Amino acid sequence: MSVLKEVLEELWSMFVGDRRLTLLALVVVALAAVIVTIFAAQAAIAAGVLLVGAVLVLADAVFAAARKTRQR
Amino acid sequence: MIDWTTAAPAVGAAFVASTVEVVEAFTIVLAVATLRSWRPALTGAGAALAVLAAVVAALGPALGLVPLHALQLVIGVLLLLFGLGWLRKAVLRAAGLMALHDEAAIFEREKAEIGGEVASGRSGDWIAGLAAFKAVLLEGLEVVFIVLAVGAGRGLMLPAAIGALAAFVVVMAAGLAVHKPLSKVPENTLKFGVGVMLSSFGVFWTSEGLGAPWPGGDLALIGLAGVFLVAGLGLVALVRPRPAEASA
Repeated sequence: MSVLKEVLEELWSMFVGDRRLTLLALVVVALAAVIVTIFAAQAAIAAGVLLVGAVLVLADAVFAAARKTRQR
Repeated sequence: MIDWTTAAPAVGAAFVASTVEVVEAFTIVLAVATLRSWRPALTGAGAALAVLAAVVAALGPALGLVPLHALQLVIGVLLLLFGLGWLRKAVLRAAGLMALHDEAAIFEREKAEIGGEVASGRSGDWIAGLAAFKAVLLEGLEVVFIVLAVGAGRGLMLPAAIGALAAFVVVMAAGLAVHKPLSKVPENTLKFGVGVMLSSFGVFWTSEGLGAPWPGGDLALIGLAGVFLVAGLGLVALVRPRPAEASA
């Protein structure tokens, strides 16, 4: 049972290791999906939003972790 | 016929990511072998590899039944989450805000832990074999995900699996030759590269899955990787403690 538990924990940490990063990344994907639905003719906008959004999510996660480390 | 414009990033990502994971698993298998013997170490590692092979054999063909756009979207989102997570940690390590992975220290810690459990009176070989099994299974899960993820979106499972297998052979050969933890492998640099590649694949396939293909097709992956690389390096420079801050 302990092996199974560790496998499940490993899988969880692979995708939800940082909850804020996961949540924000999903918001960016949802936003891109909405853009594709509304502006189907200009789907490239959604691709751009996805890329810029992903970079901003990364920056947010790095700055948040850096802030936390400095406060310690 | 394999299109290497698409296959090369998939093989490269699988090879580099697998190198990192196999190095980590090898450290623990070696700790087991040093403490007990190679028999429980290889039995545990072999059993874990069999479980992982069964997972790939079951999931690989099943993924072929999922409609391509849905598959690209799900895998793209998972890759994006996984890749951004790796890149975040690699940036923090490169900036000196997170401890680097130290294989030599992990080797000593694992030896002490397994030694402690063996001394507690339970069957030594069983505990040692289980430690090797868990290490290979847990590190291997990430390899399996990466192979399935970078391979499934374009029918490149075989090239991606070959990339992972090549990493396994190279690391095992090097590890068995030096017979100590492979602490000289630049793990964080490799992880940085993998984070860049997986994030790029994630954005690319999520976008394709949503019905918003990138101009230039697969070649856009190179541009995406460039954006994540520059962003990652820029973030390292921005968050790295300044000399006065570091000495305070």
